[in-house]
Amino acid sequence: MASGGASVDRLHGSTDVRLERLKGRLFEIALVAATLVGIVSLVVLFGYIAFDTFQPLTASIQWYLIYIGTLVTPTAAFTLYARRHPPIREANAKAFAVIGGALLVSLVTYIVADALDPYDVLLYVLFGAIPPAVIGAYARRSPDRTYTGPAVVVSTLVGIALAAGLYGVLRPIVGIIAQWVAYVGIVTLPVGAIVAQSVSRRWSLRRAALAVALVLVGTLAVAVGALVAGIEPSLPVVLFSGAVVPIGYVVGDTVANEPEGRIGVLGPFVLIGSVALGAFIERSVGVQGPESYLTPSLLLNSWHGRNAFEAGIYPQLVGSIVIVGFMSLLAFPVAIGAAVYLEEYVSDSGWRGRLATLLEVNISNLAGVPSVVYGLLGLALFRNTLGFGTGVVIAAAGTLGFLILPIVIVSAQEALRSVPDSLRQAAYGMGASRWQTLRTVVIPEAFPGILTGTILALARAIGETAPLVIIAVATTTYTSPDGLFSTAAALPLQIFAARSHPDPAFRHGIVPATAVVLLILMLMMNTTAILLRNRYDRDTHE
Amino acid sequence: MSEHERTQTQPSTVDAESTVGEDEQSTGARTVIEARDVSVYYGQEQALQDVDLEIPRRQVTAIIGPSGCGKSTFLRCINRMNDLVDAARVDGRLRFDGTDVYGPEVDPVALRRRVGMVFQHPNPFPKSIYDNVAYGLRIHGRTDELDERVERALQRAALFEEVSDQLEKSALALSGGQQQRLCIARCLAVDPEIILMDEPASALDPVATSKIEDLIESLAEEYTVIIVTHNMQQAARISDQTAVFLTGGELAEYDDTDTIFEDPDSQRVEDYITGKFG
Amino acid sequence: MSKRSTPTEGNGVPPAAGQSPATELQRSEFVVRKERLYGWLIASCAVLTILVTVGIIAALSGKAIVFWTEISPVTFFTGTEWSPIINNAYGVLPLVSGTLIVTLCSALIALPIGLAAAIYLSEYASERARSVLKPALEILAGVPTVIYGYMALVYITPLFQGVLPLSVQLVPPSIPLVPEFTLTVPALQTFNVLSASIVVGIMIIPMVSSISEDALRAVPDSLRQAGYGLGSTKFDVSTKIVVPAATSGIVASYVLAISRAIGETMAVTMAMGMSPQMPHFPNVLDNLAVSSQTITAAMVQIAGADSLGHGPTYEAMFALGLTLFCITLSMNMMAELIRRHFREVYE
Repeated sequence: MASGGASVDRLHGSTDVRLERLKGRLFEIALVAATLVGIVSLVVLFGYIAFDTFQPLTASIQWYLIYIGTLVTPTAAFTLYARRHPPIREANAKAFAVIGGALLVSLVTYIVADALDPYDVLLYVLFGAIPPAVIGAYARRSPDRTYTGPAVVVSTLVGIALAAGLYGVLRPIVGIIAQWVAYVGIVTLPVGAIVAQSVSRRWSLRRAALAVALVLVGTLAVAVGALVAGIEPSLPVVLFSGAVVPIGYVVGDTVANEPEGRIGVLGPFVLIGSVALGAFIERSVGVQGPESYLTPSLLLNSWHGRNAFEAGIYPQLVGSIVIVGFMSLLAFPVAIGAAVYLEEYVSDSGWRGRLATLLEVNISNLAGVPSVVYGLLGLALFRNTLGFGTGVVIAAAGTLGFLILPIVIVSAQEALRSVPDSLRQAAYGMGASRWQTLRTVVIPEAFPGILTGTILALARAIGETAPLVIIAVATTTYTSPDGLFSTAAALPLQIFAARSHPDPAFRHGIVPATAVVLLILMLMMNTTAILLRNRYDRDTHE
Repeated sequence: MSEHERTQTQPSTVDAESTVGEDEQSTGARTVIEARDVSVYYGQEQALQDVDLEIPRRQVTAIIGPSGCGKSTFLRCINRMNDLVDAARVDGRLRFDGTDVYGPEVDPVALRRRVGMVFQHPNPFPKSIYDNVAYGLRIHGRTDELDERVERALQRAALFEEVSDQLEKSALALSGGQQQRLCIARCLAVDPEIILMDEPASALDPVATSKIEDLIESLAEEYTVIIVTHNMQQAARISDQTAVFLTGGELAEYDDTDTIFEDPDSQRVEDYITGKFG
Repeated sequence: MSKRSTPTEGNGVPPAAGQSPATELQRSEFVVRKERLYGWLIASCAVLTILVTVGIIAALSGKAIVFWTEISPVTFFTGTEWSPIINNAYGVLPLVSGTLIVTLCSALIALPIGLAAAIYLSEYASERARSVLKPALEILAGVPTVIYGYMALVYITPLFQGVLPLSVQLVPPSIPLVPEFTLTVPALQTFNVLSASIVVGIMIIPMVSSISEDALRAVPDSLRQAGYGLGSTKFDVSTKIVVPAATSGIVASYVLAISRAIGETMAVTMAMGMSPQMPHFPNVLDNLAVSSQTITAAMVQIAGADSLGHGPTYEAMFALGLTLFCITLSMNMMAELIRRHFREVYE
């Protein structure tokens, strides 16, 4: 029983308590402010960059009005509508994913093959990919599969070695065919094989054959059409087989089989259509658009030292893609292998346990080594010891590979660790060996997590500059790299090199535009990784 | 009462039913698993003490006892799943059809293809129902007549009717009881000689449990079933022989199920059965 | 006890002639050998990581030792002039000073902000806020450092140049006995330490906030409940109970963030320029306004200028690298030791 007013006062609103509450609230506000200060500063700085890149103030009001009408309104309306219906949202997401992904993959394939020489690529693809594919298809029929694994690996290696060894003889032969035919070999055939696989699994072999025939005929038609129109057919062929076919397949499949959500596939088309409509109106009315520095010519031209509006970063773009591509081939298998060893092959006791501890301590130390030091390692290894030359693609790829090794190992380890042990017990109980358990249960289950980790590592690698400076990658090149030992170029290096260019059009125009390109690339990769992670998490929580 | 009495290692009823044509001299023909002085240590801790046991073929043998008395440990010795635990050490001799399971010429992977295991919590793979059942066959390299074998295994596990039209669906979409029957089907598909079951129904509801129990009884016609359970009534219902382990990893008594439950030799076993402890 | 599923494979004696492996307790020898080979391949991937470390140490020491036979280590570690190309001066102290000043200033920015963010995310923020803010903070660490350097040079420096120089009278002359004190913040040069420190500070906030937040979240809830039960406010519980309990983790995060700042290269190279100098003493703030050079920036400068591949300047780059490597390695190991101490306290 409270003794009257004094205690009630102590429970409720005495001045002390009010002061405490005020202090607590001020503290919380200070905390929020601190949390936001970094983010807000970054946003402001990004705003500066965007402003310098896109020059929004140079566009007229009419331009904005046009695009609000044609782009913003329909897209917003569609998005709001799609939000309310989950199946539509799913279909929409799927459509965006397949369109974005297919376009990206086919463009990257074209760019890389074009830089490296499509005939060389075709040669290695034919010799290196067809034997294992044949073996794989044969193995699917036969009951005894013990020899498949080694056979596939051996045949690939032998194929590549053969191609390299007989290069002098084979290359002129291959060089006879038209360039677009080479691309048919590089892109259309694999796409056709994948489509055939998918169709034969879901329906019948006959339909699969029909589908492949359609793909081939379509590609040929596109090529002929391009030739007639006087355009080099290579890019249209690649875009058709690499983008149109998969998009058509997935979109068509969704429209045919998902009555509830099929409207969702219109999403990307609405977006593209509205942009096109806006552009059409803009051109016909003759409205002043923004004098943005981020133009197609930036992406397609080579560097021009003096005229900002003709300067381009195409060699650097290709260079970054090629470097990061080779880096992946070198680093990811090793990193995943190391992670598998540390998680699956190692016990906690005995000399194996101590080795594992040593390895893990070593890896976490490597993760903290500054990137310049990796540059020195690359310099000493690739230039001094191996004599590969200065700033070449393979040196850059190797150096960056060393850099991201610890990162990928750690994230792959986490992905492997997240596979529940009960699955392993089930597999071992069934009489699976360790390798079989890994191959059939653990790695498939951990794969999305591993993929997420590798994509994030790619995003990190594409922005790394210091190691490339140390191994003396060139800062002004006019041609894309055309092989493993040619001089490399990279996007972030361009930013570094041109930062103090005397011409403000460069300093405040081209360089931020390059930065925006780099940021967009990283944004795409990070978004993909996050979407993958969310999708994977959702799947396992069912 | 003597604390360490060696109880008889062979149930008495088996003597009475001698099958025509069987070699009466070697009890080995009827015994599929023979354990002699089997002890298991996890580091310094002893989980099993000098277990002597002979498990007859094509019968259901139950292993009961309070928690932590080493029942699962003993089960996992049979298919060498204890190898998966770093600190485990197994002493003594465990023979499967006369061959020492821990001998140098035995590959545990091959062993587990003849001795199957069903776990307490159903653990189907995150694959389709078909792929789950076909899993063992595929990794053993026996992929002929896959469809027929999968269907047969599902029939045998009393699951086929319920899933025959959705074999492509994910196994994780099934109910708990169905998942456990799927795990049994997965186990049966590779035609093991022995099926080890580690408390297979303890995570299931009563209806699902009784389905599993019926299934176990029907399985005993073709397979040797060794089931660990903490549910004494379950052991009394479905098993032919029962082994009672007590705390510390000690085998207290091993006899026909009827004898154990109606007239056990050891006072401690009787106390356990009547619920005075454990 | 650990129950990792790691089977020891069987092996040894292959099946006797005439007996098929299928009914025996063995597998075919080819399969066993094949899988053992796979095991070795996978193990070698892991061992490769050790080779990387060995490679780094060898690469750095090789040339560094050559350098120190040409230029005495004493001169290197105590010299106050760094001018390798023009003057053949190889004293590392100006570079160390530059690195220290940048690290100190960026730490002044990042450590309090990072800790505050960590406290907010761990103790105050709702799940929704956390799910948005935590990734947002991670973005700060994900931006390429060249872009940070560019932003510092082209946006932050001009911004400050508009405001500075600045004179603030802290103690006006009218107060008797206390000498007059005017705080003068000097005008910024184009390349200056302040802008560089700011971006490096922003860049390392996520390191502090992420690791500190993990440490704060790991504090058992029972401690908080005890505090609330005694009538403490959230402010009291957070600052007087939770933060002290997570001290080791927070300190570890500080050490790691500082190590990262020491190793930062591109942002400081672009924003700070290439004029290594010893610190100015009487007017401390001068140091922020002038151009300087860090160890890492010096390495980049040498790499950019030198195309010979040998000679003391080239080798100096490796000597600097070895110094840097040792500093960051020892800091990282210290952080790990601190973290381990923290882990033991709770188990």
